[in-house]
Amino acid sequence: MNCYEHTLITRQDSPEDENKKLVKKYEKIIKDNSGEIIKTEEWGLRNLTRRINNNKKGYYFHIKFEGVGKTIEELEKIENIDEKLIRFLTVKVKKHDLTSFFGEKKEGLKK
Amino acid sequence: MKRKKKFKQKRKTSSYSKLSLFQKPGMKFFKACPLSGKNAPVIDYKNVKMLKKYISETGRILPSRVTSVSQKKQKELSRAIKRARVLALL
Repeated sequence: MNCYEHTLITRQDSPEDENKKLVKKYEKIIKDNSGEIIKTEEWGLRNLTRRINNNKKGYYFHIKFEGVGKTIEELEKIENIDEKLIRFLTVKVKKHDLTSFFGEKKEGLKK
Repeated sequence: MKRKKKFKQKRKTSSYSKLSLFQKPGMKFFKACPLSGKNAPVIDYKNVKMLKKYISETGRILPSRVTSVSQKKQKELSRAIKRARVLALL
């Protein structure tokens, strides 16, 4: 089993409920293809630094999981067709680093 | 003890400012790599705050001769910057 990090960016105009459904759908795909989810982070709505397909903002999701090569093959095959996504990125890491660089400020404000 | 510490700090700064042809042998010429050693920040495509220090105003990667990052770390750094660009974080 290898460790992977996966980040999705969805369109800003799609409502939040739909975004969460979308992420759950991809989580299911990972689980079905002999993968194991460790953590999912929600970075929220962020400004993109430059326009991608006329989108100024995007909703970010980050999934940390363990899997094999076939897991990613299946995952990216479906993501390539999906029109609701702007971008996605998979990175292989040696070890999962569970500190989050995003969304720390929001937690502070809530307290 | 306190005096000793102050003295050491002063010498460090002076060795940079007095770079000349006639400097004493054994003086430091180069800055140490800011990304290696103890307490160095983690090079990661998600660490946008750190990566922003190593790109120019127009978004290009700064050369290691400007930032004095070591070869090994520069490779990691450029890879992290390129990954951040894909996700429109930089």
